[in-house]
Amino acid sequence: MSPNGQTPAEKVTASNNIYTAVLALAFCVVLVTAAFVAIKCISQYGTIFKIP
Amino acid sequence: MSTLTKVLIVLLAFASIFLCGIVVTYVANADSYKHKLDNINAEKESLNKKVKELTKQLNEKSEQLKQTEEKLNSEIASLNTSKNDLRIKLENSEREKTSLLAKIESLTAATKDFYQTNEKQAEVLKNTLAELTKLQKEQAENRVELDKVLAELNAKQNVIASLEEEKRSLMEQKAQLQDKIDMMLNPGRRTAKTSSLIPKKTTTEPAPAAVANTDGPIQGTITAVDLKNSMASVSVGKNDGVKEGMKLHVVRGDDFICDINIIDVEAGEAIGVLELVQKQPQVGDVVTNNL
Repeated sequence: MSPNGQTPAEKVTASNNIYTAVLALAFCVVLVTAAFVAIKCISQYGTIFKIP
Repeated sequence: MSTLTKVLIVLLAFASIFLCGIVVTYVANADSYKHKLDNINAEKESLNKKVKELTKQLNEKSEQLKQTEEKLNSEIASLNTSKNDLRIKLENSEREKTSLLAKIESLTAATKDFYQTNEKQAEVLKNTLAELTKLQKEQAENRVELDKVLAELNAKQNVIASLEEEKRSLMEQKAQLQDKIDMMLNPGRRTAKTSSLIPKKTTTEPAPAAVANTDGPIQGTITAVDLKNSMASVSVGKNDGVKEGMKLHVVRGDDFICDINIIDVEAGEAIGVLELVQKQPQVGDVVTNNL
């Protein structure tokens, strides 16, 4: 049972898909940035977390 | 979805995008410190190699410098010794120079004196030659007079000889007459010695022509010269009045050559020793006993 007394069969749907797209874009940008930084660290220092 | 949630979603998305952009820009523009470190290490190694090479070169140069310094020091020492030797030689040469200059001055003074005396002797010689020519003229005149006197003397001696012959013949005639008178007065008596009354022939004849002429001048020439033994033979001998020990003078033109002391005399030549040799005598030089 739900605390609000609603039935569990109802699906949660986004009120507006544009905000989802914005969040996905932001996530992708962060992910690409992390990958770029990792690639740079590997290419320059040969490792990601250790200090050479 | 509330409005606040929507605003937060949009702000979060933009903020994340903005920060990601900043991070990407920074990382893209960040320097590669590892690469720089590698380059710096490589430069450091190369510089270390260069430093080692330069230190080696420096050591070699310093060794060469030491060797050259030692050589130069040895050369300087040898040059100093040679310098001292040369200085001593220079001092000696300066002393010799001063002594030679003094000798030259004395010699110049002696030369001046010699020239002065030579000029005086030349004047004296001129005067003597003038007197000699005068004396020779007088001698020639005296010789002419002497020849005249000798001719007169010979003529007078011939007259005396003829008179003595006449006297002798007269004495012989007188003796014969005396003998005849004695024979007539004393016929038994033998004839006396009449030959004692006859005067013997006196030796009043003139001297033969071969007698040496010792008073007149002797003049001849040199016929042979032996310079090794300082001997010479001349073309005059006993017939010309040359005697042993006589000194003959050798002249060539107006120059006096030497004297010849006669040691051996023959009829037509004589041999003597050279004395007071001024020039080398030659065959044909004039020999005389009177200059």
